[in-house]
Amino acid sequence: MELKEELKGKIIDALNLEDIVVTDLEDDAPLFGEDGLGLDSIDALELIVLLEKNYGIKISDPKEGKNIFKSVNVMADYVEKNRKK
Amino acid sequence: MNMKKAVHKITITTTEVVVDGKPLDVTCLGSNIFTELYRKYVNDYPKYFKMDILCKLGFIATELLLQTEGKVRFEPCEDRAVVFFNRSSSLHADKSFESNICNRESFYPSPAMFVYTLPNIVTGEIAIRNKYYGETNFIVIEKRDEDVLENIIDGVFTDNMTTSVVTGWLEAESEEEFNAEIYIIEK
Repeated sequence: MELKEELKGKIIDALNLEDIVVTDLEDDAPLFGEDGLGLDSIDALELIVLLEKNYGIKISDPKEGKNIFKSVNVMADYVEKNRKK
Repeated sequence: MNMKKAVHKITITTTEVVVDGKPLDVTCLGSNIFTELYRKYVNDYPKYFKMDILCKLGFIATELLLQTEGKVRFEPCEDRAVVFFNRSSSLHADKSFESNICNRESFYPSPAMFVYTLPNIVTGEIAIRNKYYGETNFIVIEKRDEDVLENIIDGVFTDNMTTSVVTGWLEAESEEEFNAEIYIIEK
C-alpha cells in the first residue's frame, strides 16, 4: 500500500475520526486549523505516538509537529526520510 | 426555606432512557445506546467519538436534557454550573489506560486515552460546548447519599452568580454497567 494511503488509515484509526474515510482525506489538505479536520493539541500528541509506534520516529519537541503535521503529503515525506522501521 | 426546584430530569440505564418521565425509543443496549442517541439527537460534535464511556454518558444525558429545556444554547452563560457525582470516578478509563501501558515491549501511552483518566473532563466538555462559565465540578463520594448531594448543590448556589445547575449522579463502571440521573435545578 502506498505510504500516503497507509498514513491516512492510521490517522483515522488513531484519532477515532468516525465519520471520515480514507478517500475523504486529500493529500495536501491541512490537518489542523480552521480548514482542517478540527484536530486539537491532544490529537497532535496522538500523531506523535503514531509516528513512533509505526515508524520508529521519535519527535522530542512537540513544536516540531506543527510543521510535520501540515498535511498528509508533508507527513508522508517526513516519514519516508526519517523512518527507522 | 429551600427554594430550589428540579425543572428537568433524565435517567439513562443500560436498557432505557427516560426524559421528564417519557421513555425514548432506543433499540441498542449497553453503551451502544450512547452512539444511537448521538446519531439521532446530536450528530454535530465529532469529538464525541473520542470520549470514554463516562464522558459519553454525561455528554449525551446533558444534550438530551438541554434539548428538552429548549432554551437558546451555545451563548456565553455565567450563571449555570455543572456538578456531577459518582462512586467509581474514571475507573473504566483508568483500567483502559493501564492496559495500554502494561506491555514494556510496546510502550506507547495514548494521550487521548490518558485525558479521560480524570472524571471532571466530562464537566469540562459540557461547559466548553455550551459556553458555561459557572462552576464545574465532579465529586467522587463513597456512596450515593441524597443529603450530601443536596448540601453540596446548596453550596453551589451560594456564590451569588449561579441560578441553575446541571447536576446528578453519573456512574459508568463498564460498557455494561452505567447509569445517569441528571437534573437541571433552578434557584
